[in-house]
Amino acid sequence: MFAGGPLQRLPAALKLSAALVIIVGTVLLPVDWIGCLAGEGLALMLAAVVSRIPFLILIRRLAMLLPFVFGVALAGMLNPGGGLDWRIIAAKSTLCLLTVILLSHTTPLGEVIRVLQRLRVPGLLVTTMALMHRYLFVLADEAGHMRRARASRTFTRGRRFAWSALATVLSRLFIRASERAERIYDAMCARGWK
Amino acid sequence: MNPAVEVTSLGYCYPDGTEALCGVSFSLMPGACVGLLGPNGSGKSTLLRHLNGLLPEKPPADGNVRIHGEAITAENLPSIRRRVGLLFQNPDDQLFCPTVEEDVAFGPRQLGLSEAAVAARVQTVLVQVGLAGQDRRATHHLSQGEKRRACLAGVLACEASILALDEPTSDLDPRGRREFKALLRQIDATKVIATHDLELVVELCARSIVLDHGRVVADGATLELLGNEELMLAHGLERPHILQHVHPHHPHEAH
Repeated sequence: MFAGGPLQRLPAALKLSAALVIIVGTVLLPVDWIGCLAGEGLALMLAAVVSRIPFLILIRRLAMLLPFVFGVALAGMLNPGGGLDWRIIAAKSTLCLLTVILLSHTTPLGEVIRVLQRLRVPGLLVTTMALMHRYLFVLADEAGHMRRARASRTFTRGRRFAWSALATVLSRLFIRASERAERIYDAMCARGWK
Repeated sequence: MNPAVEVTSLGYCYPDGTEALCGVSFSLMPGACVGLLGPNGSGKSTLLRHLNGLLPEKPPADGNVRIHGEAITAENLPSIRRRVGLLFQNPDDQLFCPTVEEDVAFGPRQLGLSEAAVAARVQTVLVQVGLAGQDRRATHHLSQGEKRRACLAGVLACEASILALDEPTSDLDPRGRREFKALLRQIDATKVIATHDLELVVELCARSIVLDHGRVVADGATLELLGNEELMLAHGLERPHILQHVHPHHPHEAH
């Protein structure tokens, strides 16, 4: 989340609704309206610039999610009907992702969750989202600790060893996460969770 | 007057067969502050979880644990959990909401209070623990000491009359420890403090219970127990240095 831009000052409910409209609009746009897609891309980039989100960060976030875009595009390409243009699918998916990235970088997730609560989104879904947001940082910290601990006792450059060590770290992380989930559930019960 | 906590012949085995508690009995009068001592794995945390009804998984019919004379059953579990506040060893396990305000409000909201009453209670306890004005902060951005205080605020917001504290000062720096001790001293509740911080026990707890291998091996006046070097060493503890500076006949600031 980057502070200081005009988008950041807008109410979270407005931004959330705008993002939803843009995403649904993009998905429903006829495939031959390429000019519209290009215009939308430009508008989103402009919004990123005025929100003072560094271009590099935007690209990096997008690059992290692009494998999913290509996965979807590939599915379109292999479609037996052949009527779907994979380039349009890729462009539409990228624009939707860009919208979500813009929203997440201009609106604290806590505010988004509060808006969802007000909109009466099912409580279980909202609680799950809030818990995920809360514990992503803790898990990332734990992964970092384990990575450093592993690096401090890694004396070889063997790639096979690195992969097997990574697998160990990931499995440990999974076990720790599930144990932590149990402790969190206990903590919730201890304060009256029903 | 009923004891605030009464534990009778309490035993517990974890599902993997580890015997965590065996024949544990003791009782605490309202307002008492008791130190729960013992080496790692002696059953301290398991015992604290029994006080709040988190363990055993299904409350037994006979009720080895009584809170204000009332045996813990499946029916009265919500009211027991409101009365017995549990402070977990790791603050990150306990602070599960995105902001301090939401986390402290979690308990009162479960009690079905109105939003105005919840907000008022949150503000009161935040002032009490010294976190006034920090309500909008993200819980993962708090310092370790602040996390501890936020956890305590969350427990106090439920207006618990018994506090079960699991290693409350284990990861605090000396200043954080000092401040947290002062805070605990101010809180008017029955307190059971499981800890390795023997200085805290000397300062706050008139009575101590030593657990080892799930059994109560000693129960008595803190200064007597901690002054018994043989007993301390036999159970993975030590005679704290602070005892050298405490007069044996006027030892306690706590009651």
